[in-house]
Amino acid sequence: MTALYSLESVAKLFQRGPSTVRALDGVDLEIEPGEIVAIEGPSGSGKTTLLQLLGALDRPSAGRVFFEGRDLATLPDHELAALRLRSFGFVFQQFNLIPTLTAVENVEAKLAPTGVTDRDLRDRALALLAEVGLVERAIHLPGHLSGGEQQRVAIARALSVEPRVVLADEPTGNLDTTTGAETIELLTGLAAEHGSTVIVATHDVGLASRAPRRLAMRDGRLVEAPAPAAA
Amino acid sequence: MFYLRYLRNELLRRRARTILTLLGLGLGVALVVAISSVSSGLDKAQRKTLDPLGGIGTDLTVTLSPQQNQGGFGAGGLGGGRDLLTANQSALTDLSKLGKPGTHFVHDFFLPGTQLTFRQSAAQQIAKLAGVAQVSSGLTLLAEHQEGVVPKIVATLRTRRRTFTITRAIARPTAAEFAKMQTCLQKLNPQGSSTPGVGFVTPGGGADRAAFAKCLPARLRKLRTQFTPPQETLRQVLNPPQTNITTRAYTIGGVDQTHPSMGVVTAAQVTKGRFLSAAGGREALVSAAYAAKQKLKVGAKLDLNGKTFEVVGLVDPPLGGQSADVYLPLKQLQALANEAGLANVVLVRAESSSQVAEVKAEIERALPGAQVASSKDVAAKITGSLVDAKNLSHDLGLVLEILAAAAAFLLAALLALTSVGKRVCELGTLKALGWTQRMVVRQVAGESLATGVLGGLFGIALGVLAALAVDAFGPSLSASASTGGGTSLFGLGAETARKATSTVSLDAPVGIAILAIGFALALLGGLIAGTAGALRAARLRPADALRQME
Repeated sequence: MTALYSLESVAKLFQRGPSTVRALDGVDLEIEPGEIVAIEGPSGSGKTTLLQLLGALDRPSAGRVFFEGRDLATLPDHELAALRLRSFGFVFQQFNLIPTLTAVENVEAKLAPTGVTDRDLRDRALALLAEVGLVERAIHLPGHLSGGEQQRVAIARALSVEPRVVLADEPTGNLDTTTGAETIELLTGLAAEHGSTVIVATHDVGLASRAPRRLAMRDGRLVEAPAPAAA
Repeated sequence: MFYLRYLRNELLRRRARTILTLLGLGLGVALVVAISSVSSGLDKAQRKTLDPLGGIGTDLTVTLSPQQNQGGFGAGGLGGGRDLLTANQSALTDLSKLGKPGTHFVHDFFLPGTQLTFRQSAAQQIAKLAGVAQVSSGLTLLAEHQEGVVPKIVATLRTRRRTFTITRAIARPTAAEFAKMQTCLQKLNPQGSSTPGVGFVTPGGGADRAAFAKCLPARLRKLRTQFTPPQETLRQVLNPPQTNITTRAYTIGGVDQTHPSMGVVTAAQVTKGRFLSAAGGREALVSAAYAAKQKLKVGAKLDLNGKTFEVVGLVDPPLGGQSADVYLPLKQLQALANEAGLANVVLVRAESSSQVAEVKAEIERALPGAQVASSKDVAAKITGSLVDAKNLSHDLGLVLEILAAAAAFLLAALLALTSVGKRVCELGTLKALGWTQRMVVRQVAGESLATGVLGGLFGIALGVLAALAVDAFGPSLSASASTGGGTSLFGLGAETARKATSTVSLDAPVGIAILAIGFALALLGGLIAGTAGALRAARLRPADALRQME
């Protein structure tokens, strides 16, 4: 069985003025389908960059990223877009909801390009909001929702297309501890229901420690996780 | 449709930005529409007023140049040899011929002004030239209308009583004469005493006196009978008579009423009433401006030297060339002005506009001394605020329009670009969700297009309002041209060729084309700017777009 992800010596360089920053420096990694993976590390350690490479939001400077056996570096833009649409679901620290769209419309924004008929669109979006317990807030604008509610909308949006992978970048970073814990519960629970692999980047060690698989990053390199969780 | 709802939400929920963009686009489009319509209003006014010949269905006017008054054309015709000054001198009013003192009189004098008259046969001559489609002759005269009470002109001449004293030495009668006298006296007066004396007969009583006179020798008698006082001419300066005579000058044109489409005025210029009937009866047309000044209406009567003409229509003649205040059938005016068979202008229509120059040369060759003027020549002599405004709009209108359009375009582009710039993160999110570049561009371009449509409509509404405002409060523009030829001859031109002024109230007609152009500009501006911005944003890798969080 092929791994879901297979990364070989992946490096990512950024040009910051005159100096070059090595955000990722020779990362080798394999992730199997259905895993729940936490990537922990301080900010600037390369978590977000790694997640963006996994989610086909960016291309590596060196090395290769295989997703289900396909080298993402060789795929043209429109195939990457198709992958992002159907195979990946993103959850961001800032929630990244479209401010002019209501909660239900934000979910529809992910569903609409998949070719869902107009009639089904609203029904499916509302069903997903029901799963995150926000159906009564469906026609509220993001600005009128709390942080936790916004992130639940984002989770509903990410899961709406039954993605192979949910990539969450600091999903609790803007939430208080309780809400954060609830949000993670919801995310992992729903991902399991939808059969999605979950990869969460976080600087919160406590949160990471609850994940079945923990990866730690320091200065763009994967290092041994300090305390392996119970496998 | 999700994408349309998204579009609507973007416009409605970013209201401030949308309103700003609409205002900018609207103002730009409104300016373009308003300037264009004012400019086309000026064009219209100019076509109407400044196309002096086109309006009367004519390409060329032929007049006789006053400098060439010897011979002229028409085979040394009456008019050709007539001196302009002499012709105009008939304006001197002979008060003694007006009628009985104390009675009211009205008299119109018709003077040729600055255009010499010539035989109408010249028109036939021109008609035969190649390239000439139609000719029509006309007579444009300067009229002096005099009205008042015939003054009493009484001259009392009182001459002084005069006494003539003549002293002259007379030779004594000779002896023979003396003897003859004696005999004569004795015969007439036998009983009377003869007075022999010193020799000279002394006259005595009455009878003697008569006898003496009879008998005086013829030589001496002559002195009394041949005396004649020297002949003299008495010059008496009369006090100028006190009168209330007023003089008013106007121009009068003779129209060939059988050609209503071509003549010094045509049926097309009738604004009220009708054109002169083909029969050429005692009918008159009056220019709208003159009618307003003289308070004349259709149906009013004009009394011209004892003949009554009915005003059958008001006309709005084009300026310049041969415009006049009053128009009569040509034959009627010829009779009134004592100019039978004479005209002072021939209007010529070429078979095609391309032949105008050729025909002009042809006429000049065939009729030496002829002054041939094209529409352009006549228009060039027209002055006034209309012409100034037209020149201004010609020079400045296009520049302003381009500036307004460019400003609107730039503003739309700028607003679209900044709005895209602020949404880079949002567009990055869409890409992260799986939207393709094409979908993102389509969405943003759709928004820009919608903004352009709305801005264009708003601008059109604003522009139409502006044009209506110009219509409502429209400034009046005037154009002036000298009538009756306009060639100055020893200062005579200044007196006789008067200025005709036409006032045009500016209107701003809004054409479909202008609206379409304004609309298209708004659309194009928004679309190009929006698409450019969207392309810029969509080409960013999602990761880079997402990094621009703030």
